[in-house]
Amino acid sequence: MEFNVKVRRHDPSANGKSPTQTYTIDIEEDATVLDALMRIREEQDGTLAFRGSCRSGFCGDCSMRLGGKNKIACRTTMAQVVKGDEVTVDPIRMIKVAKDMMFDVEDMVYAKYEAVEPWVEPAQPLPEREHKVSNEVVKDLRKVMSCTMCWLCDEGCTTMLVDRKFLGPAALTKAYRVVADPRDSRTNERLHNLSDAKGVWDCCHCFEATEHCPKGIDPTERIFAIRDKAMKIGAGNYRVKGHYKSFMASVKKAGWVDETRLAIDTEGGFTHFLAQIKQIPLGLKALKRGKMPRPYFLHPKRPGADKIRNIFRKVEAQK
Amino acid sequence: MPDHDVLVVGGGFSGMRAAIAAKSAGVDAALVSKVYPLRSHSSGAHSGINAALSDRDSWQAHAEDTVKAGDYLNDQDAVEVLCKEGIDDVIQLEHFGAIFSRDGQGKIDVMSFPGSSKARTCYVGDSAGHIILQVLYEQLLKHRVQTYNEWFVTSLLVDDGTCRGVMAQDLASGALVPLYAKAVVLAGGGIGRMYQPSTSAFGATGDAAALAYRAGAPLMDMEMVQYHPTTLQNKGLVVTEAARGHGARLVNGAGEAFMSSFAPATGDMAPRDLCSRAVAAEIEAGRGNEGCVFLDFQHLDGALVDDLLSETQLLVKSMTGVNLQKQLVPVRPAMHRPIGGIQVDLQGAVSAVAGLFAAGECACPGVNGANRLGGNTLLESAVFGRRAGEAAAAHARTASANRGPESLASDEEKRLQDLGARTGGEDSIGSIRSELAAAMHEKVGLSRDGAGLQQASDKIAELQARYQRVSIAAAGGPYNPSLSSLLELGNMLDTAQVIAASALARQESRGAHYRTDFPERDDGNWLQHTLATRAPEGPALAYKPVTITQWQPQRRAY
Repeated sequence: MEFNVKVRRHDPSANGKSPTQTYTIDIEEDATVLDALMRIREEQDGTLAFRGSCRSGFCGDCSMRLGGKNKIACRTTMAQVVKGDEVTVDPIRMIKVAKDMMFDVEDMVYAKYEAVEPWVEPAQPLPEREHKVSNEVVKDLRKVMSCTMCWLCDEGCTTMLVDRKFLGPAALTKAYRVVADPRDSRTNERLHNLSDAKGVWDCCHCFEATEHCPKGIDPTERIFAIRDKAMKIGAGNYRVKGHYKSFMASVKKAGWVDETRLAIDTEGGFTHFLAQIKQIPLGLKALKRGKMPRPYFLHPKRPGADKIRNIFRKVEAQK
Repeated sequence: MPDHDVLVVGGGFSGMRAAIAAKSAGVDAALVSKVYPLRSHSSGAHSGINAALSDRDSWQAHAEDTVKAGDYLNDQDAVEVLCKEGIDDVIQLEHFGAIFSRDGQGKIDVMSFPGSSKARTCYVGDSAGHIILQVLYEQLLKHRVQTYNEWFVTSLLVDDGTCRGVMAQDLASGALVPLYAKAVVLAGGGIGRMYQPSTSAFGATGDAAALAYRAGAPLMDMEMVQYHPTTLQNKGLVVTEAARGHGARLVNGAGEAFMSSFAPATGDMAPRDLCSRAVAAEIEAGRGNEGCVFLDFQHLDGALVDDLLSETQLLVKSMTGVNLQKQLVPVRPAMHRPIGGIQVDLQGAVSAVAGLFAAGECACPGVNGANRLGGNTLLESAVFGRRAGEAAAAHARTASANRGPESLASDEEKRLQDLGARTGGEDSIGSIRSELAAAMHEKVGLSRDGAGLQQASDKIAELQARYQRVSIAAAGGPYNPSLSSLLELGNMLDTAQVIAASALARQESRGAHYRTDFPERDDGNWLQHTLATRAPEGPALAYKPVTITQWQPQRRAY
């Protein structure tokens, strides 16, 4: 079938202008978009820049936006993204584009990956043969390591949208790979590091990473799993601990969250006097707009609060 | 740019393994690759890595299987190194952090694999290559190996028979930059892009073999080109042999299992050359279906497929729409891997050029003979990648830093500028490559004959002449793939010429090299390696006897 492939041509020397260029190509409907782009490069325009390697969805090189959606170009057929006879090809948006479909991967991608020091450091001396590891653990690690580093989870991340220094779901999923590996001897140190600013606690639970992952690895849940492990060893700064403790305490007591107390406890409680003063303008703003939650001493029990408390008791008894 | 002790060209399994080994040996090591290391095609090796870890196995049994699969063209000293040292290398990978599927005791599990007489393949579901590639990248970071990512190597800088480094184009900027090193390790992977269909990544364009060949190094046994028996129709993407290892069966268009009529003793577990030819013969005889036979998974336990063949299931579903638990998967053979390569010794050294080493798919230490045993490639990368890295480090420790004359780099720069400035010519890179790929598959593929090979050689010569006139619109600037694409095509043509010439000369059938006009193996005349060296009139062929230690050639039966 004949397709019009409409490609965004970003040229760094053209004052930030990114016009589109349309190539007409005759190719099978079940050909992948990556095959089509390669044919265009080989036959029509040798300057067309895009990444792509394995052709089979294992190497993660060819992330781009096809038909307006974030896709792996070698796992996407022309038929899947064609509208009329047009297939649009754009670079992904989160990372600065260097040329055409090539985005600048060093800062946003590889630096973050490296920052989590994602190599296993087994205890010394090493065993003579292999470490003994259960197949259950291997299955979990296998799933997480099926990640191809396509970075579509980062592309979807809503925290990165406002804070480009956030490590992001891709790097944090890689961090999970070492944190969950029983052979690693640096687990606690890692959990403390990952609890620092720009780490696991900056995730805003929007689940976009999970939605974007083409491999079903569930990066958001991996971040939560690191948080759970971190809480268990007491990692995280006083804000995180205060937030979690307060959340638990108020739900346990009244069956629902006391938001005023949560705000105060997250800043360390009343002993952190200066921090509380800093919150006053925010409180006044909320008050003015009618969004100030009622103070905690007025925080009544919700119906069924006793049942909720029983759930807490059961869970605590299990521990 | 700093000068390095060891510079590795290629970021796949072998390249990263070599760089880590060199750095661990205490010298400065850097790695240059045209793709980011994680994008290398080692991730496509789904099956696993062979090693005689089990109590019921031995390295000798592994070696014997390797030699038999290789149709006795293997250098048995190299095979012994592979199978003996491979055991520790696999343990080393585990210590690096590689995960492997485990048995009930938590030890590395081994599975059966076509061509192997014992369960010997260590696996990770069906994604061993992908997992090990990631673990090596983790180690590369840990060892702080400097990387030049997305740099394309245009030539080796060789002066006075000694390799001084490489010339490379930094694709991000377009700049041409010489990278000097006391030792260079080539680990540039395969050649698949010159065949259609092929299982290979876009980057498998024979770069490393062509670089070494032009620098005067002989290429060994290049006529041995392995086809994978089960690849997806139209796409050429591999459906792993682990499928058959777990019990999937090949059936013809009528739904009948047919492998036992080609390999009575082993049936579906026959090695690759035999199995690929059987599939092709079945299709040829009109017992296929739309140019394919089928791989049947339907009788397998669904839970096993979901667990151990999960990536395969996803691949087949997303590429063809077939649910392999309920439908047959159409498959046919496609070109998979070169078995020959740059001739190296057991340390990975290239004797013709001092300071030059090679490992992995681009190299030929003689372990694979005429047909590679499935599951041995990753092992070869582990063992000979490490050995090449160690040997390069040892060489660098005694060699003096010497860039050679300045003209070395400036001449190459001039050549590349001239290439970029070429005008006229009607051919595109694509037109030449697709004609080459069609000719290679049809005439230098699964079965060959003298007339066809001569036609292929003529065709390649014609394409080489046309290649001289291909022009590119603009060569420089950021991320402009024009020049590297042109050079890749040149690499393919030079390597293809060697493959066709070596195949035409070998008048027998052995392993992957099957000649319909010489259908029998001929140990009297051909129990020897082909060595192709570049000469003005084309490849000059010489021969070298095979090293035999303990396994005398026998009739090969499966």
